[in-house]
Amino acid sequence: MTDRSTEPGDELTPGADETTLEAAPDGGVADAETVDQPVVNPTADEPDLDRGLIAAWAAKMITNPDRAYRASFYVATIFFLVTTLFPFYWLFVVAVTPRNNLSEVGVFIPAGFNPAAFIEVFTTLPFHRYVFNSFLIATIATVAVLLVGSLAGYVFGRLRFRGRNVMLLLVLVTSFFPPAAFFIPLNRLFNTNVDVLRPLLSAGSLYNTPYAIFIPLSAIFLPLSIFILMTFYSQIPDGLEDAARVEGTTRIGALFRVIVPLSAPGVATAGVLTFISVYNEYFFSSLMTDGRPGSWAPMLEGILRFQGEFEVLYNLMAAASIVAVLPVAILVVVAQEKIVSGLTTGAVKE
Amino acid sequence: MASVKLEGVTKRYEDVTAVNEMSLEIEDGEFVTFVGPSGCGKSTTMETIAGLTLPTEGTIEIGERDVTNLPPKDRGISMVFQNIALFPHMDVYDNVSFGLRLRQYDQEEIDRRVEEAADIVQLEGMMDRMPKEMSGGQRQRVAIARAIVRNPGAFLMDEPLANLDAELRVHMRTQLQRLHRELDTTIIYVTHDQAQAMTMSDRIAVIDSGVLQQVAPPLKCYNEPANLFVAGFIGSPAMNFLEGEVVDGGFESEYANIDFDPKAHGVTPRQDLTVGIRPENVFLEEDSRKAASPTKPFDAVVDVIEPMGKEVNAYLLFDRDVEASAEGRGEGQLLINLTPDTDIEEDDDVRIVMDRQNVHLFDRTSGDAISHSLET
Repeated sequence: MTDRSTEPGDELTPGADETTLEAAPDGGVADAETVDQPVVNPTADEPDLDRGLIAAWAAKMITNPDRAYRASFYVATIFFLVTTLFPFYWLFVVAVTPRNNLSEVGVFIPAGFNPAAFIEVFTTLPFHRYVFNSFLIATIATVAVLLVGSLAGYVFGRLRFRGRNVMLLLVLVTSFFPPAAFFIPLNRLFNTNVDVLRPLLSAGSLYNTPYAIFIPLSAIFLPLSIFILMTFYSQIPDGLEDAARVEGTTRIGALFRVIVPLSAPGVATAGVLTFISVYNEYFFSSLMTDGRPGSWAPMLEGILRFQGEFEVLYNLMAAASIVAVLPVAILVVVAQEKIVSGLTTGAVKE
Repeated sequence: MASVKLEGVTKRYEDVTAVNEMSLEIEDGEFVTFVGPSGCGKSTTMETIAGLTLPTEGTIEIGERDVTNLPPKDRGISMVFQNIALFPHMDVYDNVSFGLRLRQYDQEEIDRRVEEAADIVQLEGMMDRMPKEMSGGQRQRVAIARAIVRNPGAFLMDEPLANLDAELRVHMRTQLQRLHRELDTTIIYVTHDQAQAMTMSDRIAVIDSGVLQQVAPPLKCYNEPANLFVAGFIGSPAMNFLEGEVVDGGFESEYANIDFDPKAHGVTPRQDLTVGIRPENVFLEEDSRKAASPTKPFDAVVDVIEPMGKEVNAYLLFDRDVEASAEGRGEGQLLINLTPDTDIEEDDDVRIVMDRQNVHLFDRTSGDAISHSLET
């Protein structure tokens, strides 16, 4: 308290106060207690408290809650970033570790540096072909799902008819079944030689063709997309569709020219979800082909091929995994830019 | 430019009949307004004309062509919607040219027409604005430009001004009338606002519960309403009604008796009769010379006075025992229009006269009008 009488200037100029406050923490807790300094809020009349570092910090947070919110935001962000990105980092660590040192691989630092693994991935196996297979199948499935899902979503979301809820429930029920339940009948079906298909498909059966993967996967992921698109399409005001129809489109024309563009966020969501699900799918993809790249075996099959009879090439598997993630990562970034929400604001005056 | 003809158009939803046996001929170049309370079927009627819903029964002809089962795009009509319905993801040019582009006009023609339409609604220089960057009035003008750019046979307008603020609405009202004069096209207009109906139309079609009540020029609907509904709906403030029955010497009700010769109006004693009188056709006794042919005076009590500036609305009760109804004007209540200099106060006893030339008689059972004047 003697301080107050001896240094009246400090009390009058809050700027000076703050500089001392900021200088204090590097001295530590002991410092703050021993050194005579005005740890006070210059505007308050309450008596001086001798505050420790943490107490002072807490007091600051209470007087200025925005700082607290910002601090907790950063803490949460960093936490999520670390938990999501660390596995990728560790994949990278494993990938660049030379094969001989794989047993010594650490958590943070690779045991050696061998970026050639990223090239070996393509030379050991035609891994690019596997990725291409998956990419193509996922793309076709996404287009098909969005097309069919849009039509179905339009019907469920915008038309009123008898039996609508029952039909919607039936569609959704499909997605409640475990996909494995469908496998045996489908496998039998796709392995059956159908004479009609003989001119189109070499063996006359769908086994070892992209259709064997794309057909069941599209069907399995369709209900979710229908549901998402239905919710979005039902929110487009009727007036816009009516206007398009009067101006010269059919109902389907209005769907694709007006309703779909205005539901861009929903379409992008459904599309990305479908693409990622199909691209990452393993169960059907691995069983519907014989695993050779020429038989349209998918990317995951390729990664597992680095697992030989006598050794497992963990570094190549890790490198392949990173390579396989890239197309999806790029897609999500691109789609995110396309997801422009708030397009409908100002469309209709309610 | 085209005439529009409805014949026995009926629209039934599962258990509701929205439009019932509507038959109507609209001439080429005519401005016809569908007016009625909300839910009366006027919008449904318009949707059947546009082709957005198909009628359950009946036929629709546009320009002498049966379009009953054609999709909206092939009917040669355009439409302005209540909620404006501009495509939010397109700029003004794309919105206006949408229909032309779908019909694959060549680019020069599109540009020329869009420019012309923009000129008519004064939208020059706004071609690359997005709808959300515009004010309500501007958006409405874009919607009108989109409608006129295709040069359709008929315009359908579904409450196009309902979402604008009062001042803009009055302004757009005159704009639309000017537009009608310039384009000389058939316009079918839907509104529940009778001020718009009265001011703009060549004829108004009054609709209630899906049934056409009267189709006539606005003043005819006002002066000679076909039935009780039209009488009560057209005119603001609404007409006063007295319920009673025919007696030998005229009309008798709980509160007021009016003398006339029942035979001259083709009514018979004991018939249920409703007398209608507009607020501006009732006068205080001292002003009775203003009435062309005053009735004998009635006693009344002033209940509430509403000074409106250019006039005063006074709510009267025929009797101090009458309880003012909470829902509109009940039995025994009467609204009259007075000049602003009239010196009366609430709770005054007054004597009033009605103008016999403007007393309307309605058959209460059927609701149909019997006579629009007691003078013959």
